Amino acid sequence: MVGLGDRISGTFFLLLGLTMYLYVNPNYIETVDGGNISPSTFPNILAIVLAVCGALLLYKPTAQQTPDIRSIAITTLYVLLLCIGLYAMSKVGFEYVAPILALVIMLAIGERRSLWLAIGVIGIPVLIWFLVTIALGRALP
Amino acid sequence: MVDLSTILAGFADAFTLYNLTFVLFGVVLGQFVGAVPGIGPIMAMAIAIPFTFGLDTLPAIAFLVGVNKGGLVGGAVPAILMNTPGTPDAAATALDGYPLAKQGKPLKATKMALFSSITGDTISDIVLITVSAPLAILALRMGPIEIVALMIFAFSILAGLIGNSLIKGIIAATLGLLVACVGQDPEHFTPRLIFGHWDLFNGLPLPSVAIGMLAISELLRRMSIAHGGNVTSAIINEDTGNPDDQRVTWAEYWSCRYTLLRGATIGTILGALPGIGSTAAAFMSYATAKGSSKDPASFGKGNIQGIAASESANSAVVGANLIPLLTLGIPGSVGAALIISAFMIHGLQPGPLLFTTQGQLVYGLFGAMLMANFLNLWVGQIGLRFWVKVVSAPESIIFSSAILLCIVGVSMATSGIFGVAIMLIFASIGYLMSSFGYSLVIFIIAFFLGPRFEKSISQSLALTNGDLTQMLKSPVAVALLVLSVVSFIWFIRKNAQERADDA
Repeated sequence: MVGLGDRISGTFFLLLGLTMYLYVNPNYIETVDGGNISPSTFPNILAIVLAVCGALLLYKPTAQQTPDIRSIAITTLYVLLLCIGLYAMSKVGFEYVAPILALVIMLAIGERRSLWLAIGVIGIPVLIWFLVTIALGRALP
Repeated sequence: MVDLSTILAGFADAFTLYNLTFVLFGVVLGQFVGAVPGIGPIMAMAIAIPFTFGLDTLPAIAFLVGVNKGGLVGGAVPAILMNTPGTPDAAATALDGYPLAKQGKPLKATKMALFSSITGDTISDIVLITVSAPLAILALRMGPIEIVALMIFAFSILAGLIGNSLIKGIIAATLGLLVACVGQDPEHFTPRLIFGHWDLFNGLPLPSVAIGMLAISELLRRMSIAHGGNVTSAIINEDTGNPDDQRVTWAEYWSCRYTLLRGATIGTILGALPGIGSTAAAFMSYATAKGSSKDPASFGKGNIQGIAASESANSAVVGANLIPLLTLGIPGSVGAALIISAFMIHGLQPGPLLFTTQGQLVYGLFGAMLMANFLNLWVGQIGLRFWVKVVSAPESIIFSSAILLCIVGVSMATSGIFGVAIMLIFASIGYLMSSFGYSLVIFIIAFFLGPRFEKSISQSLALTNGDLTQMLKSPVAVALLVLSVVSFIWFIRKNAQERADDA
């Protein structure tokens, strides 16, 4: 539906601006006496601008199409996969998680050819390991 | 400001075998990733920045410049062979490149793109080298009041030019400025919006935000499109067998001289203005070439003038993009914003002072840019046949390896997993923003300029004792503010007109 995408994002930015102005900025920015500009002045102005622009977008949306829900759902799954991968990396290390993460991503995209799978799952992680730890002398995550 | 010895020392620094190797590596990598649809030089630069951390400043920046320049040449390959531009800049190239390739002349088309790209890029670099130092002298005369006015003007142009809605442009810029508030306020240095996470006290790390927004969000978008689908690519790789169809003769190149010069001029002028990307330059140059041609009907059917027009313009933008960056510290494009983050990783603050404090480095960078142009030509001549094979690499391996490289790169740049987590958060934000039609370029530029903008406001208030009407005493500030208002009104009217036309 034409305009719905802007109405959704306009509502979000209106609420975000108001939440920042009324709740987040007063509670998470320290107050300071003196000076030329208070620490909360700039974020407050930005929050107001955000809310006003959100309201304007709500009132007068462009012809922006609503994003495809299926694409957003698939992307959410990929983000979850990356979050799990990142958590696993923080626990057991990149060298053990990277091949599995690469394999899952390649299979999810639809890759079934064993040569390309081998390159992506073994070749690329080994290459990164060599580049980072041997060539650059840095630690992997 | 910069004496001849500094200039010569800078060029001497650049023209060493060590730097040449890094520029060459950057150009090869840039052409390679540019040839792969879906990666492109911007993503390659984003991934490569953390890996340059261990290098000296000049080879690191020279390497990134090589990636950027090489990417523009590589981006034309899939545009011509598959009608799928490897970079948005190459979309106009596909208009004539693809039909020419379909006529059995893929190498003629790709070589014309290469020669045009190098021509436009070199002209633009020469302009950059000659005008940036004098402009920086002017910029140094600007105080905080003028800087505030200049940034307001830059934001008004950026918000209006990028995307299809001024309001959405303002939202993207405001969000970028708001995110830049995380950390400490620039006047009192008190913690602000860190929510108890002291890792955020120095602000959100630029590599995490930039790579998350630009690289990972784009990868997520393309992965969702490719999900479970066909992972191979079909390319045109046939030829007629006639050697003349596989090369560009001098006569053909010379016949395009006016088109090339016009394209380079358009690209240089648009590139010097923040926010107008190379895609706009390429299409504008293409339209101008078609409009002034004696045979406009041949455009879109494989006319090499069309390739010359678009490639010379989009490549000319790269050098000119560095004019606002080096003279004012304002990045004019995503590529320039990434080069800024590389400068900052190496402890340098881009802006007019760079010519005074790091003049040798700046001229070293100019030397590296010229070197990159010659290497681009050389690598392109040898590599074009190879890049044709590269475009058929499956997306599955490209996406998985790019994600692993981003994770490792950000982890190295931010010293830990926390920075990678921030990258993932901004990847999600970037994906949603682009899905809803918000410009990520404006967001990143505003995020980068945010602290400086707020600091300049604070300094202006100190200078004027809190009386902002004192700003009216500065003619430069007044002119810039008037221009901001004019551009603001102009963009509102333009948007309204476009909406009326659509209706």
